[in-house]
Amino acid sequence: MTLPFVIYLVLNTLAVLAVAPLFVSIIKKVKAKTQGRHGPSVFQTYYNLAKLFRKEILYSPHSSWIMRVTPIVNIAAMLVAALFVPLVFVPEPVGGIGNIILLLYLLAMAKFFMALAGLDAGSSFGGMGSSREMSISAIIEPTTIIVFAALVFVFKTFNVFTMFSASAATGAPATPTLILLGISLFIILIVETSRIPVDNPETHLELTMIHEGMILEQSGPNLALMELSAAVKLTLLMALLINLILPFGLSTTLAFGALALAVAMFVLKGAALSVLVGLFESSMSKMRFFRLPGFFAMAFFFSTLIIIIEVFA
Amino acid sequence: MIATLFVLVLLFLGAGIIVPLLTFSGDHRVHRSISLAGAIAGSALLAIVSAWILITGQTISWIFPTPFDYLTLTFSIDRLAAFFLLLIAAVSGPVALYAMEYIEHLEGGSRRHLLCSGACLFILSMILVVVSATTLAFFFFWELMAASSFFMVMYEYTGTETGKAGLYYFVMTQLSTLFVLLGFLLLFVQTGSFAFVTAGASFLSTLAFLALFLGFSIKAGIIPFHKWLPYAHPASPSPISALMSGVMLKIAVYGLVRVLLDVFTPDLWWGILILSAGTVSAVLGIIYALKEHDIKAMLAYSSIENIGIIFTAIGLSVIFSAYNLPELALISLLAALFHALNHALFKSLLFLTAGSVVHAAHTRDIEHMGGLVHRMPYTAVLFFIGALAIAALPPLNGFASEVLIFISFFSSVAVADPLFKVFLFLCLALFALTSALSAACFVKAYGSVFLALPRSPECGEAREVPLPMLAGPAVLALACIVIGLSALQIFGLAGFVVPIPDMFLVGVLLLVMAFLAWAFVYYPARMKPRIAETWGCGTLSQQPFTEYSGHGFSEPIDIIFSVVYRTRMKNERTFFDRKNCIFREGTADIRLLKVFEEYLYLPLARASLRAASQISRFQNGCLDTYLLYVFGTVLAIIIYLGWLS
Repeated sequence: MTLPFVIYLVLNTLAVLAVAPLFVSIIKKVKAKTQGRHGPSVFQTYYNLAKLFRKEILYSPHSSWIMRVTPIVNIAAMLVAALFVPLVFVPEPVGGIGNIILLLYLLAMAKFFMALAGLDAGSSFGGMGSSREMSISAIIEPTTIIVFAALVFVFKTFNVFTMFSASAATGAPATPTLILLGISLFIILIVETSRIPVDNPETHLELTMIHEGMILEQSGPNLALMELSAAVKLTLLMALLINLILPFGLSTTLAFGALALAVAMFVLKGAALSVLVGLFESSMSKMRFFRLPGFFAMAFFFSTLIIIIEVFA
Repeated sequence: MIATLFVLVLLFLGAGIIVPLLTFSGDHRVHRSISLAGAIAGSALLAIVSAWILITGQTISWIFPTPFDYLTLTFSIDRLAAFFLLLIAAVSGPVALYAMEYIEHLEGGSRRHLLCSGACLFILSMILVVVSATTLAFFFFWELMAASSFFMVMYEYTGTETGKAGLYYFVMTQLSTLFVLLGFLLLFVQTGSFAFVTAGASFLSTLAFLALFLGFSIKAGIIPFHKWLPYAHPASPSPISALMSGVMLKIAVYGLVRVLLDVFTPDLWWGILILSAGTVSAVLGIIYALKEHDIKAMLAYSSIENIGIIFTAIGLSVIFSAYNLPELALISLLAALFHALNHALFKSLLFLTAGSVVHAAHTRDIEHMGGLVHRMPYTAVLFFIGALAIAALPPLNGFASEVLIFISFFSSVAVADPLFKVFLFLCLALFALTSALSAACFVKAYGSVFLALPRSPECGEAREVPLPMLAGPAVLALACIVIGLSALQIFGLAGFVVPIPDMFLVGVLLLVMAFLAWAFVYYPARMKPRIAETWGCGTLSQQPFTEYSGHGFSEPIDIIFSVVYRTRMKNERTFFDRKNCIFREGTADIRLLKVFEEYLYLPLARASLRAASQISRFQNGCLDTYLLYVFGTVLAIIIYLGWLS
């Protein structure tokens, strides 16, 4: 393990923790604006987290160690997953860090624990959330893997780092295939981060909630960690999309000037993408749960089409 | 030296077979313990022998001459055989350790002696199948393996369920033996030898491959020949289920790999056949597992899924070698073998802990369990490790082998034919679906069995099992963790370079992140966590009947995949009036259609019964007719011989 890589580890973790709540707030702000509301400040998520970290933790008497370790496992899995997706600085990959399949399975690991924690207290709300989350994640999985396979296909590597450096090296506007892949990645982003039309992150109603249902029993710092890991997940998926399609500004050296530029560019691009997500969410309504397979099937055929185009090209 | 050690293994297991049989009437714990201790010692030695051969790559062999030239029995252990011996050893030892205590809680008095003896015979026969270097020896021990396992499935022979399970198992396993025999005979015709030698490409060897593929698929539980698994596993005692699911299915995999490597030069379409069979089994296996409420039947279906995954990788390997891509073929084959080992470890871990749960809760229905994490904390942790491994979550061993399969799939970019690439990508999508569904399946299983409140009074009174019943699974769980973390290093030790990530590094990173999160969040926390009743959705306190049930959990998947499940809902109502307003009476019924049983097995069984009744007419008990048959036969022989000369 080289020094630049260690610096990368620290830098990337700090960066993702710093910007993740901002993007969540921006999406909320945009949604509020489109609904004609003023909306909370863009720093509101930071305030919420700070408040939650000071609160007490409440456990149900029926809950077990699953409930207690889930927040820690979740944030650890998300932060390690975030190491697989460089935000601003791309080092040389070390020991398979950046493997795209491992990235996917780290997300799955967090989901596995979260779903079990939803069942742990025995509340039917948590169970409903877990059941729906696992069902949705199962049927979106083929699409995700096909998109990832297409990425491997296009870049001829399994490593996200190498993909980013290849993409940053060309710098120019992305190829048509990449743009098509970007659309698929956007759908995956929407599904994986529980946004409209799949799930509604704003409500705790039994009709819509999937993600929120699962974390209903969490409180205090535990809830803060769950919220933070959801934000980190959003950020790392956004970073995957941004650094593949619009890589300009991405730094491959540890020079201070390049890094500062990269950070500024990333925050800017991330904010723009958050606005896009917010607008996308505002433009449609939540889908009925059993209409989702159709939506996913569409996403699946779309991504298979990319593969076919790429194969015959 | 190594050969002597191997003979010692056989002696230990032989002692394990004989010791319990010394007393016919008495019921002595010590005999059973000696027998199982023999199995443990044998397994430990076998592990050493096989690991040594795996690392050094040396092949050892013995020849037992017989008066008949054709029937010379040859045994040899090469690296492939050593790998499967290691697999047998790794599972048998912990299972025997577990069984030492488990068997004392079984009913059946001195019948348990037979169970111990049978288990040792079963392990011994599996070892001998693997070391057989001739098809004849292979076949003989294959049949011994089938017979000894049949008797153990029938252990609780009084149960009606067991009778059905035994019948299914017997018929299917004999069918498998029949096809294997056919395959070996065809091979003999082709090559003129009973050794595993290369058979040239010809129509006959294609036929031989198909027969062997069928035989091994039936034994491995590939859909549509899978039906015996979900019957036989719940019926047999848990250590036996663990051995059958963990090891015996892998012996079929061994057979397939052996003939593919040593005997045949596979065509492309063989690979497609194996890949398709594997993919279908994997997807359907896990979809059925999600619907199953009997914990052991659920694990049986999950075994079908995992065998499907192994076949998928073998199919990929055959395809890559047909396309002349030896490196990719090697990676896929390694993935298949590695997954076979990993599945053996985590599935026997799950079967053993499931056995503990069934023992403590007195039911196999997961809808009547719950809350066992508080009552059986150690078993809960062990089952959890198994669930994590089988759901292929990093950094455990299930992930290490699945990532290798994903990598071989992703590498299919090297295959030239574009249409074929699209086919491979569709298989990849189904493989991903399988993997995600298995995570859902084990969230459901763990949640229903261990979490929340107990759903039945018996389950509420469950107690933790004794130490040996924890020690056996603990060894397996430890193996799952160690193999998962050091997968890359293990491959390096065996001399293979595989493009998988360094899981040890990832494990360390996960630990560091978890520690940092704990240090920043919990350590400075001023307030202690409080235990208090959380919101019970309107009820005053949390009630077991308001919990999400296992059935409820899988309902969305049930609806999404309703085409596969073929659930039949029937509802008949009669009314007093003509406009159907005043309800008189009615019946409603939701039934899961057993597609394969109703559309494949039963028609076949009926047809063979019809054929049998036709044929039985020849045997009418009349002496004159029989004399006529003899006369006719003699006549036919004379004419045939005359023709030849």
